[in-house]
Amino acid sequence: MLSILHFIWMLIIGLIVLSFLAGSAMFLIWLERKVSAHIQSRLGPMRVGWHGILQSIADTIKLLLKEDIRPVKADKLIWWLAPFFVVVPSVMAFVVIPFGKTLIVKDLNVGILYIMAISSVGVIGIFMAGWGSNNKYSLLGGMRSAAQIISYEIPLILSIIIVVMHANSLSMQKIVAAQSGYWYIFYPNMALAFVVYIISATAEVNRTPFDIPEAESELAAGFHTEYSGMKFAMFFVGEYTNVFIVSAIATTLFFGGWHGYIFPPIVWFLGKTYSIVFILMWAKWTFPRVRVDQLMGFAWKVLTPISLVNLAITGWLLLK
Amino acid sequence: MINYPKNFIIGAWSLIKGLAVTLKYFFKPVVTLQYPDEKLSMNDSYRGLVGLNPEKCIVCNQCVKICPTACLAIASRQEDKKKTLETFKYNMELCCFCGLCQQVCPTGAIIMTNIYEISVYDRKKFDIDLLNVKKYDEWTDTTVK
Repeated sequence: MLSILHFIWMLIIGLIVLSFLAGSAMFLIWLERKVSAHIQSRLGPMRVGWHGILQSIADTIKLLLKEDIRPVKADKLIWWLAPFFVVVPSVMAFVVIPFGKTLIVKDLNVGILYIMAISSVGVIGIFMAGWGSNNKYSLLGGMRSAAQIISYEIPLILSIIIVVMHANSLSMQKIVAAQSGYWYIFYPNMALAFVVYIISATAEVNRTPFDIPEAESELAAGFHTEYSGMKFAMFFVGEYTNVFIVSAIATTLFFGGWHGYIFPPIVWFLGKTYSIVFILMWAKWTFPRVRVDQLMGFAWKVLTPISLVNLAITGWLLLK
Repeated sequence: MINYPKNFIIGAWSLIKGLAVTLKYFFKPVVTLQYPDEKLSMNDSYRGLVGLNPEKCIVCNQCVKICPTACLAIASRQEDKKKTLETFKYNMELCCFCGLCQQVCPTGAIIMTNIYEISVYDRKKFDIDLLNVKKYDEWTDTTVK
């Protein structure tokens, strides 16, 4: 009996997380189109609903109704599984994100490690999509994505380690609790870590200026060239969910999570997160795409040494 | 090697300058016009559809003669010493909107209006009798009610 109730409770929590995720991804897609439009002195979607707010819903309905085209020579199973490998890890990362003091699915004691481990699975999905499509552009996109994500994971994790060293815990809630006084962004070494984190995170989620896996001028659309309809929508939702998660982690690690005055914690958390999302979008519509060699050089010759030096300095400061 | 830090700083500064530019444009007013809802108003010197003021017309036929594409045709009848218009045909399909008819008209009867929404679904609608057209707004299909 208890286990059935537990199962129903799990289903309810899962539904809440999934519906929040879908709504958030749709909102982010709309926001991206609006931000890009206003940066280019345009209006963006204006027709469906107030200022086009329902545009993403209309697009989802369109994508649901589209034919699911499969290339004849595609590797069927891998091709079919790839979108799930991209979406599921990003959904799983929601488990440990603290929206409020008690508003967290499960506060794992290895929270941040769990997120790092889970989000690395996404690259397998992208590579599977590239391989399974049996298309040279897709394959190149998948290869580039794998190389890029593996390279940028190192500075990303090194900058997260600095926060973990300060907070003395891997649990997300404990990291937030450690920032009840000052947010970590106000420490100079943490601010540097944040800069490294946000650059690496942009590369992790394949966004401009690091969008070489799907560079449309070179690779058509990269790994998702051959996908249409709902499978394409899953890649899209996965991308925007990842953007949300990356920003939510930045909020948790550097901006004090749900801490704030007057307003309820959830408002603070979402406000901070969407501000970071806006910064990512702002950067996306400002910077040109980098070359592959520049991308790799930047990860290994600039970000990784900076993170290592920062790590050493932080260790020295903590032991002093 | 000595240039490396210098290049790094210059590059980072250029990125910040780029961000400043896009942020400035983000808060600037947009230039898009939501066409069917908002319309540009043309000034009086705009050469749109040809319009006629029948009371002023003295049927001198100068506009018909000057028209380079021969899109105007006048039929009139003689009453005592005065000519009266019967039809004033204007074939918009041929019109090149040069404005010569307006320039040559001695009484200012024929004018270029500032109407620019001139697409129709029926080709026959291009053949207009300017005496019968009251309002061009009712004539065009593109005008949003």
